[in-house]
Amino acid sequence: MLGLSGVFGLNGALGSGAMYGAGAMHAWGSVSGFAGWLEATPASTSIKSVSWVIPFVQSIHILMIGVVFISCLMIALRVLGVMRTDEPVEGVWRRFAPWMWSGLVVMAATGMTLVVGEPEREFGTVSFWLKMALVAIGVTGTALYGRSLKSAAAGAPAVFPVSAKAASVLIVILWLAVIFLGRAIAYDKQVWGALSPHA
Amino acid sequence: MPVIEAIHVLAGATVFGTILIVDLRLLGFPDTRRPVTRVCSEMLRITWIAFAVSLTAGALMFSANAHTYVGNTAFRLKMLALLGAGVNMALFHAFTFRNVKAWDQNAPAPLAARIAGATSILIWVCVIFLARWIGFTKGFDFKIPVNTHINFQF
Repeated sequence: MLGLSGVFGLNGALGSGAMYGAGAMHAWGSVSGFAGWLEATPASTSIKSVSWVIPFVQSIHILMIGVVFISCLMIALRVLGVMRTDEPVEGVWRRFAPWMWSGLVVMAATGMTLVVGEPEREFGTVSFWLKMALVAIGVTGTALYGRSLKSAAAGAPAVFPVSAKAASVLIVILWLAVIFLGRAIAYDKQVWGALSPHA
Repeated sequence: MPVIEAIHVLAGATVFGTILIVDLRLLGFPDTRRPVTRVCSEMLRITWIAFAVSLTAGALMFSANAHTYVGNTAFRLKMLALLGAGVNMALFHAFTFRNVKAWDQNAPAPLAARIAGATSILIWVCVIFLARWIGFTKGFDFKIPVNTHINFQF
């Protein structure tokens, strides 16, 4: 019941929002409708029914930030020539890529649990959707980055080209943005002002 | 506040991630070819910077709600766990690490070092869990009626 009133509350807020055109308003409306449906599913209610599930899953999500972000940072710092320069890039990639990918899988699983548990908290924010877009870019980018590193390492250059270094910096900045947006979900109105559907 | 909290999460995760690499090396998994001293000097630079950042952001969060934090069980346990991490590190450096030259290339490291590594992982996982628990419990630890607003004097 609480969930449903939340959805209607959100719709009411959207009705008064001046930032969005009719089409965007309709999109926010269907999103909150879906959130309301998800909120009422047995999966969602069972996640919410035990008080420690959400903080527990969030804790695992944060632990995985440590694993994924640091693994990515290690690879990036190697390409930039800052760290592990005694090892070939291929070796550094082989050392950290499995941790990065498995960490991302755990993040996706815990993230989806959080979305099912609290769909309105996630779907009703600008931060969440922006984060998802950046995650999609980040995962695709990392896969492409890994492939290009392998082919670059095959030529065994002593120093990586500027493009590879720029890509390393970009991918680290991208994950930083994802981490900040993750925290911003709880503060959507404060961070995005009138752009937030909560405004 | 969201920016300070995000910095705290990021720095905390960085501390965990970099220490994990050192601890796993002590356990002999999976970075077996690198000397322990090398892994330590590379990683712990980042760890200490991240720890300083995390501590600063954490102190700012604490100062904004000092009374709530002081009375919060999860917060107290977290401080205790951090103390435990410090003691574990001090013992490791005072005894086990002193003759590191003898086992620098070994994988896994001697039993004492493996115990220190495993203890460290366990403690830091606890720190992150307890940290997240603070956000979910601090309200309940108030000994004042719900919906009463008090301006704390610092």
